[in-house]
Amino acid sequence: MLKCTRTVITIGMAFLFAGSLFLYGCSSSPDEQQLKALQTLKDETAQLEKEVKEKEVKKSDLEKNIAEKNAKIKKCAEDQAIVKQRLAK
Amino acid sequence: MKLRNALVMIVAVVLTLSVGVATAQEMTKEQWQQEMNKLTQTRNDLQAKLTALDASISSLTSESNKLDGDYQSSLDALYALVGSDREKADAYRSELDAPEAKAADLMRLSDADLMARSSEVTDLDSKVKELWGNKLSLIPEFWDRLTALDTKVKSLKETLTKQVKVYTVGTWSKDRDCLWNISKKPDIYDNAWLWPRIWQGNRDQIKDPDIIHTGQMLKIPQGKEMNDAEKAAARKYYHKVAARAAAAPAANPAEPAKK
Repeated sequence: MLKCTRTVITIGMAFLFAGSLFLYGCSSSPDEQQLKALQTLKDETAQLEKEVKEKEVKKSDLEKNIAEKNAKIKKCAEDQAIVKQRLAK
Repeated sequence: MKLRNALVMIVAVVLTLSVGVATAQEMTKEQWQQEMNKLTQTRNDLQAKLTALDASISSLTSESNKLDGDYQSSLDALYALVGSDREKADAYRSELDAPEAKAADLMRLSDADLMARSSEVTDLDSKVKELWGNKLSLIPEFWDRLTALDTKVKSLKETLTKQVKVYTVGTWSKDRDCLWNISKKPDIYDNAWLWPRIWQGNRDQIKDPDIIHTGQMLKIPQGKEMNDAEKAAARKYYHKVAARAAAAPAANPAEPAKK
């Protein structure tokens, strides 16, 4: 009885191992060239993300700069009005 | 036999687990394809975003440059209103720095030290008045700075006024008032040799210490020590009188006379 049980377990294990090998063999994985293409694409995307961030900062700086210049022009116009008023007195 | 069976079982279990783990870790072609599709989409999106950002930046740079020109034109128009230009405004801006520094310096002095440097307050007051005389002072930037300076000068003058006694010059026939005699009075300095203090404290109304007029309100600076400026003024006066005396030996070099 004991011998029979051992044989069943051994055969079961052999089937399990064979099944795993079968599954591994059937599932196809990408080749080296494809993996390299994937890596290149990843690098390209990372570089683009970096460039986009830099340009966004530049755009934001320019917008701030423009707002400051507009404020200065507005102040200048107000100053002109004040000077005209003072000259009229 | 028993041992052999046990070994076979262990090896089988280990091999099965290894194959399972290897299968789980390895990327499948489907997963690779999915990843490629996802990354390609991301790259395309990023490229589109970058193109849009480049266009925005180019447009904003042009706008910024245009605003630079607009601002300079506005400034020119502002200065033109008072008959000036950027160069003159820059010079005027720099000209304001010195009186501002002087006012700040004088504001830090103790009342006694300020008294000793009262002539500097008078000079500062004149300088501020002169700066107000320039039409550029109508421009708010300068107007505000000059107003702040005015406030400081006013405060300095108030401090000096509190420190200064006033003496009204009487007639020569009745009071014998000259700077020498005024200084000699017990309620003034009780020391005739301190007369240059009165002269220097009233430079705005006494040009020649030999000439004072009835009814003049003379400020009497406090303290019975002459400062360097007063000593220098006295020396200069005595030299002048000595030279005059050498030319006409009858003249009295020491006493400034009431004329």
